[in-house]
Amino acid sequence: MPLHRPAAGPAASPAGSPAAPPGGSGGPAGSRERIEELRERIRHIERRPPRRTAFEASGIEAVDGLLPGGGFPRGALSEIQGEPGSGKTALCLSTMARSMRSDGLAAFVDGRGELYPPAAAALGVDLARFLLVRPPASITAQGIATVLWSAEVLLGSGAFEVVALDLPLLRAVRPEGRAAVPPEVMVRRLVAAAEKGGAVGLWLSAREGEGAGGLRLPAAVRLEVRREPEGPRIRRIFARGAEVGHGA
Amino acid sequence: MGPELLPGLFREEAPEHRAGPAARAPRVLALHFPDFSLQRVRRARGAPGREPAPLAVVDEGRVVACDPLAREQGVCPGDSAVQAEAACAGLALLPLDAAGDRAALEALAEALLQLAPAVELCGPDALLLDASAAGLLAPPRAAAGEGEALLLARATALAAELGYRCRAALASGRGPARALARHGRGGAPVAPEAMGAALASLPLTAFPEIPGDLQARLAGLGIADVGSLGRLPPETLAHRFGLFAGVLLRLSRGEDPSPIVPYQPERLPRESFELEAPVESAEPLLFALKRVADRAAARLAGRSLGATRLEVALRLDPRGERRLPVALARPSAAAGRWMVVLREQIFALRLEAPVAGLALEVVEAVPAPQEQLSLGDRPEELRALEVALSRLAARLGDGALCTAEPLERHRPEAAYRTAAFSGRRRGALPAAGARENPRRRSRTADVAGPASPALAELCRPTRLLPTPLPLVALGEGGRIAAVRCQGRTCRVLSFSPPERLAGEWWSEPFDRDYHRAVVEGLGECWIYRDGADGRLWLHGFFD
Repeated sequence: MPLHRPAAGPAASPAGSPAAPPGGSGGPAGSRERIEELRERIRHIERRPPRRTAFEASGIEAVDGLLPGGGFPRGALSEIQGEPGSGKTALCLSTMARSMRSDGLAAFVDGRGELYPPAAAALGVDLARFLLVRPPASITAQGIATVLWSAEVLLGSGAFEVVALDLPLLRAVRPEGRAAVPPEVMVRRLVAAAEKGGAVGLWLSAREGEGAGGLRLPAAVRLEVRREPEGPRIRRIFARGAEVGHGA
Repeated sequence: MGPELLPGLFREEAPEHRAGPAARAPRVLALHFPDFSLQRVRRARGAPGREPAPLAVVDEGRVVACDPLAREQGVCPGDSAVQAEAACAGLALLPLDAAGDRAALEALAEALLQLAPAVELCGPDALLLDASAAGLLAPPRAAAGEGEALLLARATALAAELGYRCRAALASGRGPARALARHGRGGAPVAPEAMGAALASLPLTAFPEIPGDLQARLAGLGIADVGSLGRLPPETLAHRFGLFAGVLLRLSRGEDPSPIVPYQPERLPRESFELEAPVESAEPLLFALKRVADRAAARLAGRSLGATRLEVALRLDPRGERRLPVALARPSAAAGRWMVVLREQIFALRLEAPVAGLALEVVEAVPAPQEQLSLGDRPEELRALEVALSRLAARLGDGALCTAEPLERHRPEAAYRTAAFSGRRRGALPAAGARENPRRRSRTADVAGPASPALAELCRPTRLLPTPLPLVALGEGGRIAAVRCQGRTCRVLSFSPPERLAGEWWSEPFDRDYHRAVVEGLGECWIYRDGADGRLWLHGFFD
């Protein structure tokens, strides 16, 4: 059965006509579904991951419900804000774990050197396919540039499904010297790398605007995670393609 | 010259040998590199083809090799250096560097190991490759000799790629193959049954196995080539030539059952390149670097090794040197992957003087056999991963890239260890129907929570501080109402019962009571009270 046969329109192959494939569900839509199903089964037999969708679900239904596509967008940066101990890292790791279900790789650029891998494993992250990048970071312009460059390389490589970036506080750090790259350029490079590689870029920041040295990150999605007595509470601040959120 | 020097040729002739001449001799591909010293010098100078000035190599005051330009002006091998200079104005005379030639031949042998199971260094300018398994190169049901023709073509192409011109011959036996490469016309492989005919026109001087005095005797008898030797009555050879009769008989039949002596490389490759003029910009430097990387990578590939560390040495003009150590994330014998990392390093380089020459050395290598891709593997993704890891490893260092392996330890900071990241895909296939249609989800809600039981039920923090922060407990009657951390006083909203973690009495004993605490301004923290002194420490966050 040719998998790439163009779907016949209603005029060319009306439902129930002799031209319709035997066993089809009786219409073009049914044929398309059948073909999609067969394609998926072939991919399954070949041990290939399903085709990339435009969004990567976090695996937490309540969070995915907040996002316009049902997940974090691929080829873009998303920002997850929250105070220390709010639960933003757990949300990030949960998204990574979800992406690994389809045999993908995930990377975490740990600028603070604080990520605790046993917790990642507890959230379902397959540590064998989880790259932990711990640059010898220091809270200097050079150290921050190195961390951002690492994330840029990973995002642009196309080899990772999700790349998370966790930076130390940047507010006071500005590059010095003629050759230094300003933070605006670094952030633009990151966005371009995410677009090129098609990965989900997750930027963990402590509070709004802190991520890129006081710059406002051009994120496609901005979520805020807040710790409440009954557990983490997540608010959508902004999501491209959705209405602007109001306060929690 | 005696039997101990020529074990194969002096072996007692077995009846089956007589029955099938040359049939028992191993199939050998011989590569002869004419004027090897000159070729090496030209290659190191990076000027292929004709030199702008005539060039000759001299040894003990005599010309041993000269280029076509020098020949045109009357210089011949064997001339004295004075004669040669008198004949050709502007002739550049270079002393013979036997050690350099030997090293270059060894480098070629290493690279050719990717085509044959064994390679032998033969004299100063020839290599012998074991061609016994060349038939495997040809597709099934291919014509006889097609595999050998393929091997011959690949070997000459690889030599040309590495900057050497050679004459090749594939025949039965080491001696005949070498003689055909050096004195024959080359071309298609010679079948075992056609060895006699192929050798007939070769002069006896093509066989160094025949001593000089015997060659003179044979010449006196009017026997100058192998064909004439073969026409002598075999039964008279022993009477006329004694011990060497067997040698001559085998030569006339094109037999040489002696095995190939495999060359085993002992050192890791180092390739150097002299630039024609000192360069100041990155592009010509990268061009030269690519050439040496190609050569070093070919040598590593021949040995089924992959480099994990490289070092580039840039020789500055007029003096000085800059060394660039390069760490690769994964073992690789692909020059293209090395160049990704090297290019970044070269572009980031600031040098105080132009570069006159460079060398690339493989500092560390590990066995890296070719990987067999399985159905569904995506080599382009694997390549992208390798390139990204190599770039990161080169800039951040080896230790910055890792993955983690859980360990059965109670001490929280020792409950995992870092390991090299392989990125090997394994395990779970996507469950059928696991993905939902994202468009069906709600697009109206702005707030969610409590988000997930999984997030709330984590028993270990997602962040562990590399160095715990001391806390000062504030409260009354044993109840902690607030903590002071780094000069800030924060109210404690909740404080869980303790989870005792203790052990390792045999090395560094510890005894800690861990609490989950919700602290105003700090979120949900992981705090422990040290059993040794009763002090409180902030150890992590349930972030």
